[in-house]
Order: sequence, then structure tokens, then C-alpha cells
Amino acid sequence: MNKSFDGGASYAVRHLSLEVAEGETLVLLGSSGCGKTTTLKTINRLVEPTSGYVEVDGRDVSTCDPVELRRSIGYVFQGIGLFPHLTVRQNVEIVPRLLGWDAPKRRDRADELLEIMGLPAEEYAARLPAELSGGQQQRVGVARALASDPSYLLMDEPFGALDALSRDTLQQELLMVKERLRKTIVFVTHDIFEAITLADRIAILHEGKLEQIGSKEDVQRRPASPFVHELFDKPAKQLKLFSQSR
Amino acid sequence: MMDSGTTNFILERLPELWLRTGEHILLTGLSTAFAVVGGMPLGILASRRVWLRGPVLSVVGILQTIPSLAMLAILLALLHRIGEAPAIIALILYALLPIVRNTLTGIEGVSPQASEAARGIGMSDRQRLWMVELPLALPVIVAGIRTAAVAGVGIATLSAFIGAGGLGQFINRGLALSDTRLILLGAIPAALLALLVDAVIGAAGSGLQPVPTTEQTSLRCRARPLTVSLPIILLAVGFLAYVTGSSSSVSLSGASDSRDGTIRIGSKNFTEQIILGELMAQMIEARTDIAVERKFNLGGTMICHGALVNGEIDLYAEYTGTALTAILNGVVIADPDEALDHVRQAYRDQFDMEWLEPFGFNNTYTITVRKHDADQYGWENVSDLASRSRDLRAGFTAEFAERPDGYPGLRRHYAYTFGQVKDLDPSIMYEAIANDEVDVICAFATDGRIAAYDLQPLDDDLRFFPPYQAAPVTGKDLLALHPDLRGALAPLAGLINDETMQRLNFEVDGNGRTPEEVVGEFLTAQALLE
Repeated sequence: MNKSFDGGASYAVRHLSLEVAEGETLVLLGSSGCGKTTTLKTINRLVEPTSGYVEVDGRDVSTCDPVELRRSIGYVFQGIGLFPHLTVRQNVEIVPRLLGWDAPKRRDRADELLEIMGLPAEEYAARLPAELSGGQQQRVGVARALASDPSYLLMDEPFGALDALSRDTLQQELLMVKERLRKTIVFVTHDIFEAITLADRIAILHEGKLEQIGSKEDVQRRPASPFVHELFDKPAKQLKLFSQSR
Repeated sequence: MMDSGTTNFILERLPELWLRTGEHILLTGLSTAFAVVGGMPLGILASRRVWLRGPVLSVVGILQTIPSLAMLAILLALLHRIGEAPAIIALILYALLPIVRNTLTGIEGVSPQASEAARGIGMSDRQRLWMVELPLALPVIVAGIRTAAVAGVGIATLSAFIGAGGLGQFINRGLALSDTRLILLGAIPAALLALLVDAVIGAAGSGLQPVPTTEQTSLRCRARPLTVSLPIILLAVGFLAYVTGSSSSVSLSGASDSRDGTIRIGSKNFTEQIILGELMAQMIEARTDIAVERKFNLGGTMICHGALVNGEIDLYAEYTGTALTAILNGVVIADPDEALDHVRQAYRDQFDMEWLEPFGFNNTYTITVRKHDADQYGWENVSDLASRSRDLRAGFTAEFAERPDGYPGLRRHYAYTFGQVKDLDPSIMYEAIANDEVDVICAFATDGRIAAYDLQPLDDDLRFFPPYQAAPVTGKDLLALHPDLRGALAPLAGLINDETMQRLNFEVDGNGRTPEEVVGEFLTAQALLE
């Protein structure tokens, strides 16, 4: 799959080919501008590939109606992306609403998910997003993505804007949710520790190209390129320095 | 604080104030509502089609730059009718800019995250617009509607010029009669209405905003359904005032036509015209069973003539000289009888209209100066001004400054020009010369203020000004429909000479009495009211 935003003069993603297994969490790891978000967005057709194809459940997404496709795939946005004029509950039940669920059913579903995400409905459901902390807002974002119980979840640096503590908590919660709900997740991040915490497999992207894809151990112990080696080596050295200075 | 005269003045006019306020609310409210219905889709479309953005904003922007009176004049010419329709259309056109622009910038101002999230979770374009973009753009759009409505209250005061009613009618009448109290009776309620409209739309706008939980039990929150419906309540009050007001005795501008037996009498916007209109109205009311509707203060000659031709009014008083030059674009005829014959024939041929017998006086233009100056420089005739004309400041009505029988013709005929020419409203021309702000004016021969302000009309020694005999003008079909109409107006023929007209004018202009009262008194004294 290739993607160019300027008619072929340069490529944001080039010769990329990868597969996500059912039930696994694949992390797309790379620095900003490496094409990881672009790659993610081709999955639900927010971005159309210049050439190549994307399949979901064995079906070429370019043959799917984009609106239907997106409703069937949960999406957690970079910078949260809650609707500021809707309450927390209305935000969570928006996809079921688009899918035409009746009101009591989607309300129950929203409250259940808020409960799972640690935001008891009676306290939080009627609030506006602006009344929540950043971490709480992103929990609502995750709950919204899960509301229609999609099999797939796309997460675009969902915890990037949070402080280290909230980020850690949310990562742990995501792991628990993943255990419980058995979703196939594609997770984009530039944070190596986050990648290692959450991933079953990691795909490392650099300047639009796939450098390596493999298990956590594979990419750390058997780097396929100098870039991958460098990528994991630097934080390891920093960590060493950090523990020595304590 | 308020003397009893002023209190009575207001009390007497309360029913009409109620009606005019209702008309004003309806004019503003309906035009703003139409502008919202038309302008929001236009703004949405411009936000969806990039190439439309520039053209749409330019067009609504240009509309906004057309001066209000020019806009009304253009619409009058296009629609061939006076009244509410051109006024509402003008108000809609003015309201478009803030509404279209704010809709567009409101949608463009929606955060990219919210838009992307809407797409990413699977909203169709329509759902994204209705569920995300419009709600988020709402405060900006409401601000645009608010701007449009408040400006509309102001612009709507001008619609009285074309007979659409509203509070501007008081202002217009006040200007025509030099009556400050009447002007204030229109201006103050209009200003208060503007504040009220601003507050009401502001409240409705904040009522539509989502409420944080911390405020959900507050009083403000419980009042939300009410605040949102406030603009509709205001509009309903306006409608109520319009309906109850126009069914009462002050009915002046409700829709009607001559077929239901009502005769609508028009007038231009100066005192003598209103007195003549009132004179005809009282005679018809006293001597026939025909109902009369007064549509006075319609602006200048072309508006009155246009209204008569288009059947918006049935009767008004016109002057032979004006008809010759301004309407028929014909030759200047110096002999009064010849002029009347010519006009009468031309009106029959061209408009199927009839000139009845003239009232008697000749309200010609007279070049008029201060008596003090006339004595000092020995001026008696218009040609005496030639030697000093370059040093003189003239104040002319807009009509006089343009018409061939006005300043352009005068300049050629007497072969001199004035150093400075200002356009002045007829009602302030006399004050301007008395206060030494101009030196020469185009007074009307029958104006009571000539004597009151100690002015000296100069003799038209080179016989430039045509005769201006006033007579009722009406459609032939109306005379056929109401056989007793001609008879009812017949006693007015030749009844009023120059001095009498001057006196009647001065009773209104100088002594501040109402035209109704002055006319009633005059007709009673002449034993013409039964």
C-alpha cells in the first residue's frame, strides 16, 4: 500500500504491507511524520491509499461504504475529539444512535461502558466534556469507541496529551479492557514504553517505510535495521543512566 | 417632569403607538426570520463549496453597502408598489450579510478535531452538519442574527417613507410637521425596541447552549425553555398589536383596496400636503358613506404618483407645475389655466386619471431671502441677486435642486449660479435661513413660515416658475365607482387662496397644532361640515 499527498512527488507511506491477526494488539511505532497515523486512517478510509489496498475481514475496504465501515470500527482520536456540546453520555452513545439503536438500549450500553472505564454514570453521565480532566475525557473517548461493540479498535496516540501518571493508569485499564473484551486493536504511538506495555506485536515505521514487524522480544533483541537498533538502544541507555543516578 | 400637555400628547397617541410598535416588530421579525431561512443555507453551502465562498460574501457585502433610502427607491422602482413588501425585502437583503457571514465563519471555526471525530465515527455529511457543526457554530450564528435584527429595527424606521408603517411613521410625520415630540415618539420606542430585541435574542442564544452540571439546578437553567421561545413571544406580541391596533380606529396602513369601498388618500411629506389630504378626507367622511384611509407622508412626488398609478392610493393633491415638469416631462407653461388644461388632458390620455377643480392658491416656488438682507442690498426681484450670487449660500430641497423647473432651469433662465448649494429637508430649510446657515432658499409661496421667520420672497421678474395650482387627482374608475365623490370635493374648488393656505400651514408649522384640528376648525368655520 502506498500513499502520496502530493500526486506522487513524495510518499507519506511507501511499499507498506502488514497483517493484523484477530484479537491481537498491533502497535504502529515511529516518530512524528513517519506515516503511522496515515496508515491507521487508511483502515477506515479517512485516508484513501494512492495505490494498493486495505482489507478488513478479507473484504477490500474501497468496496465498502465509508460511513458504514467507520461505524463498524471503533476509533479513539489523537487529542480526544469528544463533542464539546454533548454530555458524556450523549458522546458515548453517539455511534449506537447513528446505528439506530433505541434510546433505553443505548443509554444502558453507555452507562455500562462508563462504569467499565471507571466513570460511574450517576456522577459523570450528565456532565459536559469540559468539566472532566484530560484523563477522564480520554476514558470517555475509549468508551465511545467501544459503544457499538465493534470487533476492531483504532487508537491514534490516544494518551499522548496526558501526564505520565494518567497515561500509566489508562494503559493498565486498556490492558484489562482488552483482556475482558477481546478486541483487535491497532494502536499508534511514538512512545516506546507505551508500545512495549500494550503490544502483542510492534511495527516500526520510518520515513514512510516499514522497518520491522515482530513480537516485542524480536524487535528489541533482533533489530532488523540500524534504525530499529538505535530506537531501542537509546532509551535503554537513558534508563541505565537514570537508575545509576538514583 | 412631564407637563400635562405632553402626557395628553402621549395618551392620545397610545393606540397608534401600539399599532406602530406592532408593525415595527413584524417588519423586523419577519424580515429577520426570512433572512435566517435564506441566509443560513447560503452560508452552509458556501462552507461546503469553496469556490462559492468569495462570490457569496461579496454579493451580500455589496447589498449591505447600498444606502437604505436608495435600496427602498430601487425596490420601489422594481416592484411598482409601496407598502410592506418592498420594506421587508429591503430588510431581508440587509440582514443577509451578518447571517451568511456568521454561519460560514461559525462552521469554519468548528475545531478540526470535532470535525474529524465526526467523520471518523461514521457520521454522514448531513449528520456531521446537523449533529456537530451547526450546534458548535450556534453561538456565532446567533450573534449574526442578533446583529441583523438590531440593525433591522433601525433600518425599519425608514420604511415609513414608502408607506409600510412602523415607528418611523411618527418620525416622518414629526419631520414633516417640525414637531420634535412626534419625532421622539417614534425614536425613543424604536431605540427601546432595539435594546429589547438584542436582549431577547441574546437570552434565546444562551438558552440553546449546553449547561454545565454545576448550573443544572439553578434558576437560570429552569428558565431555559422560556428564554428560547422569547423571540417567538415577541413576534406574537407584535402580531397581536398589529391585529388589535389596525382593527381599532387608527387603521391607517392595513391592506385594503378601493373595491371594498375604502378610499385611500395619500400625501407627500410636507405640511401643506398633509393638510390638503386631511381636507379631502374630512370632506369625504362628512359628506359620503365612503370609508377613508389616510396614507400620508409618502415621500416625494414620484412615490405618490407611482402609488396612484399602481392603485396603492386612490387620491392625492398634486400641483400643475409639478405634474408638467416632473411627471409629464413636458414644456413649462406660464399661464395657469393653460397649464391645468394641458395637465388634465395628458393625465386622461396617459394614465386614465382625472384632475378635479383646483383649491385656488398657487403654491409656486419663490426664491426667498432674509428681509434684513433684502432691505440692506435693495433686492426686490430674483434677477437682483445676480451681482452677488457667487457669495451666496443656497439651501434647496433635493427635488428643487434636480428638477428642470427648479435650480437647473433657474440657473439657465437667470444666467447666474450660487456660490454654494446645500440639499435641505423642506422642514428645516426655513430654520436654516433664519439661523444664517444659508442665504437663499426655495420657499413655497403658501408657507406660513415666510412671515413667521421674517423672510422676503423675491419677485420672479423673468417669469421662470410655472404655476403650481393644487388640485385633487384621482382615477377615473374611482369616480365612476363613487358617484358622490366629485360632489363631496366640489365645495373645495377655489376655496383657499394663498393667504388662507399660508395661515393653515402656519397653524401647523408655527403653532404646533395637528392638521386634523386645523382642518376641522377651518371647514367648520366655512360651514362645510354637516
